[in-house]
Amino acid sequence: MQLIQNIAAIAKGMSITFMEMFQPTTVENYPDGKGPMKGAVFQERFRGMHVLQRDEQGLEKCVACFLCAAACPSNCIYIEAADNTAEVRISSAERYAKVYNIDYNRCIFCGYCVEACPTDAITHGHGFELASYNATNLVYRKEQLLAIAPAHQGANAMFNASEPEKAKAQA
Amino acid sequence: MADATQNVTLTVNGKTITAAKGTLLIEACKQNGIEIPAFCYYPGLSLQGACRMCLVEIEKMPKMQTACTTPVAEGMVVQTETEKVVQARKSTLEILLANHPLDCPVCDAGGECELQDMTYKYGAGESKFIDIKSHRDEQQWSPVIFYDRPRCILCYRCVRVCGEGMDVWALGIQNRGQGSVIAPNQGGKLDCEDCGECIDICPVGALTSSTYRYKTRPWEMTHTGTVCAHCADGCITTVGVRRSDTGSEIVRCDNRDRSGLNDDFLCGKGRFAFDFASSKERVTTPLIKRDGKFVAATWAEAVELVAARFKKAGASLGVIGSNHTTNEENYLLQKFARTVLRTNHIDHHRTADYPSFARAIASSKAQTASLKDVAAASAVLLIGGNPSEEHPFLAWQLRTAVRQHRQKIYVVNAAPIKLKKQAAHFLQVTSGKEGEFAAAFSGDAAALAHLGVDTARFDPFTAALASESSLLVVFGSELRGAGIDKLVATFAPKGAKFLCLGDYANSRGAADMGLFPDLLPGYQKAENSGLALPQMLDAAAAGTFEALWVVGANPAARHADVNAFAKPFLVVQDMFLTETAQHADVFLPASFAYEKAGTVTNTAGDLQRLKKASDVHGVKPDFEIILRIAEKMGADINALVPFRGYTSADAGQSRGPQSGEADRNAVFTEARGLEAKTSPLDPTITLEEIAQTVPGYAVSRLKLLAGEAQPTTLVQIDPAGIASHSELIVPARNGLYASGTLGGYSETLRAMGATHRAAEPVGAD
Repeated sequence: MQLIQNIAAIAKGMSITFMEMFQPTTVENYPDGKGPMKGAVFQERFRGMHVLQRDEQGLEKCVACFLCAAACPSNCIYIEAADNTAEVRISSAERYAKVYNIDYNRCIFCGYCVEACPTDAITHGHGFELASYNATNLVYRKEQLLAIAPAHQGANAMFNASEPEKAKAQA
Repeated sequence: MADATQNVTLTVNGKTITAAKGTLLIEACKQNGIEIPAFCYYPGLSLQGACRMCLVEIEKMPKMQTACTTPVAEGMVVQTETEKVVQARKSTLEILLANHPLDCPVCDAGGECELQDMTYKYGAGESKFIDIKSHRDEQQWSPVIFYDRPRCILCYRCVRVCGEGMDVWALGIQNRGQGSVIAPNQGGKLDCEDCGECIDICPVGALTSSTYRYKTRPWEMTHTGTVCAHCADGCITTVGVRRSDTGSEIVRCDNRDRSGLNDDFLCGKGRFAFDFASSKERVTTPLIKRDGKFVAATWAEAVELVAARFKKAGASLGVIGSNHTTNEENYLLQKFARTVLRTNHIDHHRTADYPSFARAIASSKAQTASLKDVAAASAVLLIGGNPSEEHPFLAWQLRTAVRQHRQKIYVVNAAPIKLKKQAAHFLQVTSGKEGEFAAAFSGDAAALAHLGVDTARFDPFTAALASESSLLVVFGSELRGAGIDKLVATFAPKGAKFLCLGDYANSRGAADMGLFPDLLPGYQKAENSGLALPQMLDAAAAGTFEALWVVGANPAARHADVNAFAKPFLVVQDMFLTETAQHADVFLPASFAYEKAGTVTNTAGDLQRLKKASDVHGVKPDFEIILRIAEKMGADINALVPFRGYTSADAGQSRGPQSGEADRNAVFTEARGLEAKTSPLDPTITLEEIAQTVPGYAVSRLKLLAGEAQPTTLVQIDPAGIASHSELIVPARNGLYASGTLGGYSETLRAMGATHRAAEPVGAD
């Protein structure tokens, strides 16, 4: 009797296991998933690696006001400002960030910089694969943080270039 | 004008307060801790009543009144915080902001803007205006001054400080009403002294400087108030520094903390001419000349070579000191030269006859004047010199005193200098004969004939001068030797105070510290006199000198014979490869005033503390360089710098973990900005020795460390044996756009000078 009861209990438990085997999976299959995200799924509000945004003209939104650096509790933002000139126009205001470094050794992803930004230039992206064997690689420069430049600023130049130029660019 | 003898009592917000009759309501409230906001009101300038921010309710007056133009009256009842007043302030701010661009994130004033602060405190956050703000492009008015019209709130502070304060009158108002703008009086460009006072006084970011524009933000810098490196007035300039890949970079100099004896003032040199510090031409590694070419070397190599050659040279060595290095460095240099090198061949570029001045003061038991005394003096006699050009702060004080309490200035000069305008009496005399004025004043007819003045002009001048009950006598480097003796002897019995004008930041300090072949610190006679500067250079050219050591000076700029520098083993400590340094066998890169601690003495004898503001990799302060050479020569460092007894806990400066008591002292002193970070290479201990050995330098150390200028005196000096060497004095005559070697390497200063006048003649040091 006892034996039958035990077998019934196991069968009942295993039935749930076997039933679940045919349901779709709910865990994220990172890093073996499909697509560029390798299976990682984010909420919209996730605070990942920063992105420095551009405006409609493709100019940098950052005007180097230093408010993000002032707001930063871990003191990880370093900026050097410079003047826009008629020839070299980087941002839409008088000033732009010549150097914009974020030290991801120190950044705690609190989002204060994003909140402080008066021009909505700095935002949290969804980049999260920041780990490195070398701590010096974790100081990200402006070039690494900037949003992709729009087509008219040469983002698609590669596709428009003639064949010899394309070969040269690849070499 | 406030009358301190009569008080009136009034009621503000129900509180009874007392103020001197004639005080303005805004000031009376401020003295009693009641804040009334204002933009256009600025103490010391004329009243404007333009901004309407200070409106208050006064009983029995039908409308609100501006507190900045209303003097207090007996029984006045004032309300400053009623609903009506609060609403008025809000409305005023709203109208000021109507055309004010919302570019605080890029504006230079952001973070230290009075409009920002006021809006935050009193203003309405939202605007009712929906119209598009009028925009005008920024204008450049001079090499250093930019104007952003939409940011301007028309407080007229700049117009007033330029006119009343600087007596330049370069700014004015164009148009009327809504269309009013601040504009240069001479067609789009400023014809001025480039003092930058208008930038400093601007409550918003309408006036900005080219040197600081869009570079950084106020909270991103470390600010250190230190003594300006340029002229001999010793103004405090606040140095703003950011870290950079060379150590740190000076981003701006201004006068924001207003803690120095210069109060509201800073001239263009102190404000804009700091870029030489990060000049491309600056040398930051020691150089040794091999086969006629400079080769970079390590400090150890260079110092070892210098020490070996100095040892070989023995007393056959000449030392040329500097007008820029600190008192401690100068003291150490002459002590090292006299006790270790055993030579009296030490001198510096003399720009004024301080030894004769010391002798005259001590012989007549007369008083020396601090630069602070100038503003308070009721009458000033100015003989020679040109303060507007060479001593801008002294000129500012004289103008302010004339404007505020009708000081009488008596000018005796060979040229109609700019201060003639403020002078009560002006006497033009023959050039080079200024020194005879005192004799002529005492009735010497021959001296009067030399002056080239007829009695019709001379008598009214002297009659008015003689009637002055108290007098401050300021004289330039035209007066030397016997001329100074006669001047002091003539006016000392009347209780006059004296001020002698020299040229560089620490010319007076170099003299007081005994950088003379015949005088020790405190103008004590040396037993054996060495050679003076020109003789030293002649001896070097003749080949009798084994080595020549030039510390922060550029004698080659004034001495034509290059043999003097080419023949001996030449060691130069400087920032740049100057005319002298080109001939050096060893070049040691030195830090300058903003990069080191110590004290300097201005031309009036006010001792002030230099604070280290910035740092550049590779260079060392002269103090350390001298000590390193001494150490390599096997000298007893403890005899040179007696720091041994002072780093122990009882001096309250050790930071060792075992001395808990001392650490508590350190916390106390550091929290109050008093800390003198003592290390064996800290010059503070040498200051102790200076205070003990140099008469007149025993000033309050606490006040000195707290940043107050401390007047030193000369009256205790022993006048016996001080000889006059008038022929050795070569005034630098640095105008507003020149500052010796430093000025030559400042691009900003050159740009300023280029737009305003021809370059100054070279007479650099």
